[in-house]
Order: sequence, then C-alpha cells, then structure tokens
Amino acid sequence: MKTSKSFLFFCTFPALALFLIFMAYPTISVFVMSLYKWGGYSAAKTFVGLNNFRALMEDDRFIGSFRNSVILLVLVSIVTLFLALWCANALTREKIRAKGLFRVIFYIPNILSAVVIAAIFSAIYDPSRGLANSLLSLVGIEPVMWLGNRSVVIYSIAIAMIWQATGYYMVMYMSSMSAVPHSLYEAADIEGASRKTKFFSVTLPLIWTNVRTTLTFFIISSINISFLLVRAMTGGGPDGASEVFLSYMYEQAYTNSSYGYGMAIGVVIFVFSFALSALVNLATRREIVEL
Amino acid sequence: MKKIISIILCAFICLSALASCRNRNADNNSSATLKVAVLESAYGSEMWEKVCDEFEKVSEDVNVELTADKNLEDVIGSKMKGGDYPDVVHLATGREAALTETMIKEGALTDLSDVLDMKVPGEEVTVSEKIIPGFTDTLATNPYQNKKTYLAPMFYSPCGLFYDANLLREKGWELPTTWDEMWALGDKAMAEGIYLFTYPTAGYFDAFIYSLLASSGGVDFYNDVMNYREGVWDTSEAKAVLDIVAKLKDYTEPTTVANSTGDNYLKNQQLVLDGKAIFMPNGTWVVEEMADAPRADGFEWGFTALPAIKDDRYSFTFFEQCWIPQEAKNKEAAREFVAFLYSDKAAQIFAEYGAVQPILNMTDKLSEENKLFYSVYENGAKAVMGGFAATEAVEGVSIYNTLFEAVNSIMTGDKTVDQWRSEIISVSDKLRNNLK
Repeated sequence: MKTSKSFLFFCTFPALALFLIFMAYPTISVFVMSLYKWGGYSAAKTFVGLNNFRALMEDDRFIGSFRNSVILLVLVSIVTLFLALWCANALTREKIRAKGLFRVIFYIPNILSAVVIAAIFSAIYDPSRGLANSLLSLVGIEPVMWLGNRSVVIYSIAIAMIWQATGYYMVMYMSSMSAVPHSLYEAADIEGASRKTKFFSVTLPLIWTNVRTTLTFFIISSINISFLLVRAMTGGGPDGASEVFLSYMYEQAYTNSSYGYGMAIGVVIFVFSFALSALVNLATRREIVEL
Repeated sequence: MKKIISIILCAFICLSALASCRNRNADNNSSATLKVAVLESAYGSEMWEKVCDEFEKVSEDVNVELTADKNLEDVIGSKMKGGDYPDVVHLATGREAALTETMIKEGALTDLSDVLDMKVPGEEVTVSEKIIPGFTDTLATNPYQNKKTYLAPMFYSPCGLFYDANLLREKGWELPTTWDEMWALGDKAMAEGIYLFTYPTAGYFDAFIYSLLASSGGVDFYNDVMNYREGVWDTSEAKAVLDIVAKLKDYTEPTTVANSTGDNYLKNQQLVLDGKAIFMPNGTWVVEEMADAPRADGFEWGFTALPAIKDDRYSFTFFEQCWIPQEAKNKEAAREFVAFLYSDKAAQIFAEYGAVQPILNMTDKLSEENKLFYSVYENGAKAVMGGFAATEAVEGVSIYNTLFEAVNSIMTGDKTVDQWRSEIISVSDKLRNNLK
C-alpha cells in the first residue's frame, strides 16, 4: 500500500510542481501585486490595500474598455456560434459539392496569426482603396471610416474576430455532428420532420455538450484575440475608443508605469471571465441526451 | 530499446541543464564586463558595435557585452525584474512600454552630473564642454528639477512641418510664417483639392503642441505648462494653442484619423509624398522611413519650423536618452562609456548612420540633406526642448492620452475644445499633486 502511494506521489509530482510553479504561483502573484503601488522594475513597492480597485471604479477609460470587451464578447460569441453551427450543419448534412474544400477554406483564418489577420482587415478597411468602402460605393453609400470612427471601430474589430473564429468552431461542431447516427435522421424523415425540426430536435440536443464547452472557449478566446487585434489594428484608438480589457491593462502596467494597477485590472478580468464562464455553464445546463 | 532511449533522453536533459549553468557562471565571473543595452532604432545596431569596439580600444580592461534589440524592453525588462540590470541603457522616453519613464518615476536612475565634468576618454576636453549648451538643462535630462542630470542627451533631431518643396514651388505658394498665412494657404490649396495638413499619429502632436506652446507664450510659459502650474490652461496663450489644433480639423485630409491608429500611419505620411496633403508634423527620421516609398514627380523634402502664433517660431528638439540604472554593477566603467559617447570618434561613427550627437560643430559633418533640417535653428527658429516634469505614477491618469491622443477626437468632432481643455485641466491637477 505504501509503495503504491509513493509511486502515485512520484508520478504526479512533476505535473503538480509544474502546475504550482507556472499556474498557481503567477495567479496568486497577480492578486498580491494588485494590492501594491509599483512601477514593475524597481524594488520600490508600497502596499496600498484596495486603492487600485477603488481607482478602477472611477476610471472612465477602464469602464470604456470593459464596455468594449463585453460588446465583443457578446457580439462575437453569438454571431460566431450561429454562423459556425449553420456552416457545420450545411457541410455535414447537406449535399454540397467540394465539401472538403469549403472545410479547408473556412478553417484557414484560424491558422493565420493575429498580425496577418490585422493586416488583411486593415487593407479591407482602408478608407480610400479598401474592399469594404468599394462595396459600399457600388450601392451609393458614403465611405465609412471603419477604424477612424469612434462609434464604428469596435464593430470593425468584431467582424475581424468573427471571420477568424468561425472556421475553428465550425470544425468542432462538424466533428460532433458527424457522430450523430444517420438512422436518427432517417427516422425523422419518416416522421416527416423538416430540416429546421431535424436541426433543433436531433442535431442540437446531441451536440449540446460540445456547444457548452465551446461557450467557455468563446469567453477566453474573445478576451485574448481582441487584445491582439486591437494592438495590431488600432492600438486602442482613436483616442481610446477601441480599448479592451487586456490592451488597457498593458497600457496601465507599462506605458503608465502603474504595474500594480495593471494587475488589479488583471484580477478583475480573471474574476469576470471565471464568473461569466460559471454563469454560462449554469444557464446552459440541460439533461444530457445520450445514445 | 525503450529503456535505452529513455536513458539517452534523460542524460540529454541533464546535460543541457548543466550546460546552461556553466554559461551563467562564466558570465558572473567576468567582472570587467560592461553590459550595454541599446534600442535598435532606424539607425540600426552596426554603429553601436563599432562604438563599443572603439571604447574597448580606449579602455583596455573593459569588455563590452552589447545587447541591441528593436524591442529592447522585452529583452532587458524581464531580466531587470529578476535583478539582472544592464550597466548602460540607451532607450528614449516616449516608447509604448515606457521603461525609461518607469525608471524615472521610481527614482531608479544614477545621477550622471559627475559624468559631465569627466574628461571624454581619449580626449582632453570634458563632456560638458562638448555638449551643446542647453541640452543638459531640460526636463528630459533633469526630470526632478534638482539641477542634477540623470539622463544623457543623445541623437537629436529637430521636429517641425515636413512638406514637398517642389509642390509649393510649382504652385507658386509661399511658405507660411504665421498662422494667418497658414490658413490662407490652406484655403488656396483646398480650392485645388489639396489638403493643408495630415499627421502620422496623434502621438506626433507632442512636438507640435510643445512648439506651439512656446510660440504662444514663450519659454517660461512652456515651462509652466510642463510643470503643471495651476491655471496655466486657463490662459489665453494655452487657449490659442488648442484653438489652432481645433481649426486644423477643417484643413486635415479626411482619411487621416482612420489611418492614424495601429500600423497604418505610413499611409498618412504617403499623402504628403503623393501631393494630397501639404504639411505633416514629423522628425528627421521620416526621410529614412519613407526612403523606398513612391512619390510625386520632382518631390523634394522641405522642412520648416511651425508658423508663429506671436513673434517667434519654434522647432521642438527631440532627442534620445542614455542612462545608468541605480542597480548597475559596473558604474565606473558605465560612466566612462557614457562619456565616450560624446567623443569625436563615437560621434563620427553615429553620424555615418544619420544619428547626430548633440555636440558642438557636429552639423558641419552632416550630409547636405541633413544640413537642411539641422539648419532650421540658424534660419530664425528657436529651439524648445524637454517634456513634462516627472511625477509619481497616477493610476489611470496620463497627460499623453489626454493632451495628444485626444486630438483624434477633436479631428472627428467627437470632442469640443472646451471638453478637451477641461480634461487637460483635470489631469494636470492630479499630476501636479504627484510631482516628484
């Protein structure tokens, strides 16, 4: 018995040690550093308690970045979810020529780096020669300053994020959709079910576990990808209009020499994404349909 | 077989770990090593290698270990957090990662005042005798206003308005010297479908607004603004500056804001090369930056100080900075190295790559094109230097964002001048209470 316990200990120790060093310790450090006023480089740290969090509540730019992050989170998640489900269903269930080709084309944006995507969309959004304004001019609409208009810029970034994410989730949904037995659809056909009924009554309940998992992915990836795209496409501009959680955290921690404050923003992001994931998980809990 | 492979892999891992230990020990033992970390800017890193070689010849017992990187903060930042500091750092303020600003705010720089009195290695003159007067009396070198120099001035560049000299010549338009003339030129140009103004990013308004402030109220007024003096933004001089920026909105090329964010700012600079906009605020580096860009037939770079608001015209002098961290281990050699950067030998090497040291008689050694830019002060413009005084970091408050980034909102009409001014006043109040 003793040998078995020590064997288990030696087997799990490396993974546990790595987890503690690279996951637990940095996470706890973020919480601890958020209680200090610190520039990040020198030894001059001052304990300020919850002052950083109090300052956050009165910081308009932080509130703006929070709002932008929530807009992206909601918009990108919902639109991507619907598009990915629709495309996955079409490519799995419908008789479409060159399915494999479409699958590859849809997936390509996912293997491109965020910098390449930013470059592609910067070209599309170019005010004078971009694809977007050229299309608008065909129908007689005035050019839009996609990245220069404070009210439009966040939606321009959302479009790039949706384009980037759809293929990835589509492939995930396709894999679980292809596991749904064909016989169920045949039975539904015999019952006279329409395409819509088959999707909502057969496909969706059977891939629900997969959909729930991807909802958590949506939350995490929206926060991360939005930072990369914002940094490369707009730098948070114009005048902070496209600032998101992480870009504002970076700006405060480095550009404004307020590392402790940046870590306080990190804590808020951590708690927010954790709470949101839990909430989404709870709200989408259904009885698991198994075959 | 599996066992043998496992043993080989384990042995390989252990050996790599040991090998890395050996390297680190080797580094620690060489006490005469001077760690120099420099930003690899548009001038490249080759000139630094040459300067380090020359320094090793002058100081034979010192071995220079050079780190040059375009993202220097990423390379040395994490090491510094772990207590491994370079001995000399060449990195200017105004960078996004703001490492230099953080070091200033944290009081983590070594006082370099004694370096100014040191003899330049290999020469018989002191550093202060070589540096152009005024360069070591600015807030960019003496951030705490205690008459002590913490940052050595490096590579200076006059900032002002860049334009196509050939375009103005062909159209028969005079170069404006006052803002009234500027608006008149704007009206004429707009009638021909050419916009008066564009700017690469809102960040370029720093040198622009600094020059305007000096032109509006003189150097003392400029220093008051830089020190966040109470009521300074309520004066007519400050209002005149903000009004000029706001009026530029009507003369600015309409795609400017959309291209001023992220990496698209080159498109705005291209507008000047294409003859679609006349002026843009910039520094001498723009010539090298746009060297390969297409341009209008006969394009010829022109450079002028900003038009005068009252009597004098000003051109902001941007310069980079070099400093020694307080935690540097080899401070004596570091001081020697900083002094050597002002030697004729080093300055000559820097000049070959277009980097101009702020030392006397340096402009004689420049290329013809560079002479045009650097002669701006000989043609009647006055120099203004330095930036805002150092403060403690104030969470969520940045004069840079409030004063310069907000220009984009002024240009799109999302902010009025009054809103802009009241935000500047509010931020100035907060920073004034935290002056170092």
